[in-house]
Amino acid sequence: MKINFHSVLPDPFSSITNQTKSIWNSTFELDSTKQNKVLISASSGKGKTTFVNMLVGLRRDYSGEIYINHKNIRSLTIEEWVDIRANKISVIHQDLQLFPNLTAVENIDLKNELTNTLSKIEIEKLLVEVGLIDRKNQQVATMSMGQKQRIAIVRALCQPFEWLVLDEPFSHLDDENTEICFKMIHERCQHLKAGFILTSLDLFKNYQFDVSRKLE
Amino acid sequence: MLKKVLFHNQDKIQFRIAIAGAVIGILFLVSSIHYLIRVNQYGKGEEILGPNTMIVQKKVDNSSSLKLSKTDFSQGEVARFKNESFIEDAQAVICNNFYVLLLTDDSHIPKFSSDVFLQTVDVKFLDVSGQKWKWKKGDSHVPVVMPRDFLVMLNTFMSASGIPQISEDLAKEISFKLRISNENKQEFINAKIVGFTNEIPSLLVPESFMKYANEHYSTKEESKITNVMISTKEGEFGKMEQFLKDRGLESRKSQVMIGKLKSIISTLFIVLLIISIVTVLVSGLVLIQYLQLLIVSNKYQIKILLRLGYRPSIIILTFTKYLGATFGKIALCGLMLFFIEKFIVDSFFERGGIILNHSVSLLSIFVVTISFCTFVFVSYLVAKKKILKEFFS
Repeated sequence: MKINFHSVLPDPFSSITNQTKSIWNSTFELDSTKQNKVLISASSGKGKTTFVNMLVGLRRDYSGEIYINHKNIRSLTIEEWVDIRANKISVIHQDLQLFPNLTAVENIDLKNELTNTLSKIEIEKLLVEVGLIDRKNQQVATMSMGQKQRIAIVRALCQPFEWLVLDEPFSHLDDENTEICFKMIHERCQHLKAGFILTSLDLFKNYQFDVSRKLE
Repeated sequence: MLKKVLFHNQDKIQFRIAIAGAVIGILFLVSSIHYLIRVNQYGKGEEILGPNTMIVQKKVDNSSSLKLSKTDFSQGEVARFKNESFIEDAQAVICNNFYVLLLTDDSHIPKFSSDVFLQTVDVKFLDVSGQKWKWKKGDSHVPVVMPRDFLVMLNTFMSASGIPQISEDLAKEISFKLRISNENKQEFINAKIVGFTNEIPSLLVPESFMKYANEHYSTKEESKITNVMISTKEGEFGKMEQFLKDRGLESRKSQVMIGKLKSIISTLFIVLLIISIVTVLVSGLVLIQYLQLLIVSNKYQIKILLRLGYRPSIIILTFTKYLGATFGKIALCGLMLFFIEKFIVDSFFERGGIILNHSVSLLSIFVVTISFCTFVFVSYLVAKKKILKEFFS
């Protein structure tokens, strides 16, 4: 899947003068078949979440143009967006967007039921990997932020996708859990021949990305 | 699972109040429509005169007996009756100006004959088809509406002759003859009974027959109009009663009483119907408002589902089904309560000797169905508007 940004600048950042390496106001292409590991790093308030939300059609307050497979996303219909969100781009939002009154496994099932991507055993295997199998029936509201982040990661993997967009997904994880989750994401992306876009405050220096861009 | 997510945040108190209001509204709505129809149907079929029809005459008092005042109507008076706002139609009743004898002409029953008195009535005042109520010279028989008292008299005669009495249906199958005559000539014409009346003491015949007979067998110059047939507009019998009083006219007490009662009950049911419609509308609006609140209080959940890739139509349908099922249960509860109420009310009427048609009027069920469909459609539109608004946010 190809994503093209053409001089995109969110309206709230219109007064900012950008550096050349910033993705704002510049033109670039992300192709999941070529550059499948993308890091977008920035300090707080530079638009990481805005970037993610624009990519999945949640924000339209920007100038410039974004294309998905050569189609301007402003012209996409609701049906096309539904297909993108369910089958093309999987997202882990910064605020995780879990249902607090549901259990961990119910949150995952709610996503998996849409496309029947993984079997019950495969889901449990992922929960074992992230160390939450014994908490699968625990209500999400009673979990720690780190546990919630791992549930959100597992949920995001329960759908077919060409791009996995992760908005600061490891902010509450220790190094060990970050490593486990990173490995799991990497394997899943390889399996689906998909790419991922990671937005983060960190630069993940011990990890090799195909593209590394900054938001400034 | 979707229900668990979408109906998590609910304030049930408002919901329950709206449901109770809607159940009462539906109960009143069905009851008022059902009884409005049944009360208006009451007595239909038994009486061949139209439901709002009466025959009026001038009151006979001492002065009229002494020929100091007139008891007949002029054509101008009849025309003025028609101009009254509550009168649908008025027509002079023409009487026979010749001798009439009614004879049985059937091999199965004994010979019987009696002098009778004929009057005419236009078909528009009768609950009988226009095809049946017409006559022209050469027709096989003349249609006749017979007073029920006459049938009672006939049955008394049958009983005295040792013959089984006859029902109204059977009487319609018996062949009769009318002998019309004057001092010089006579003619026999076959007659068939097409209906019965409690309201008129004479035999009713079509106007064309009366004209023919008066023309050929009249014994006097011109017949006087002593009776006028009047049909009043629905629910305006009260005005008619006052009109009769003011003009010194009279009609059979039973006609006025039944008309007045029907008028009062119909008005009461119309008032109840209006109250019911308002109640159903208000309850429906409260339920719709509840749906809006439900969507607003679950805005976060809806947003997440849409971001996960759920189709808006699935979420819209979930809300519509929920409200539809609720209104379905309301309609069923309302109908169940109606059946209980109907059982009690009908028993109450029966104890008073009023037998109403026991079947449920289809119109009332139809109105409930229409209310249900309208409510579901409005719920769908509201849910669609609110949920699509969340898709790009």
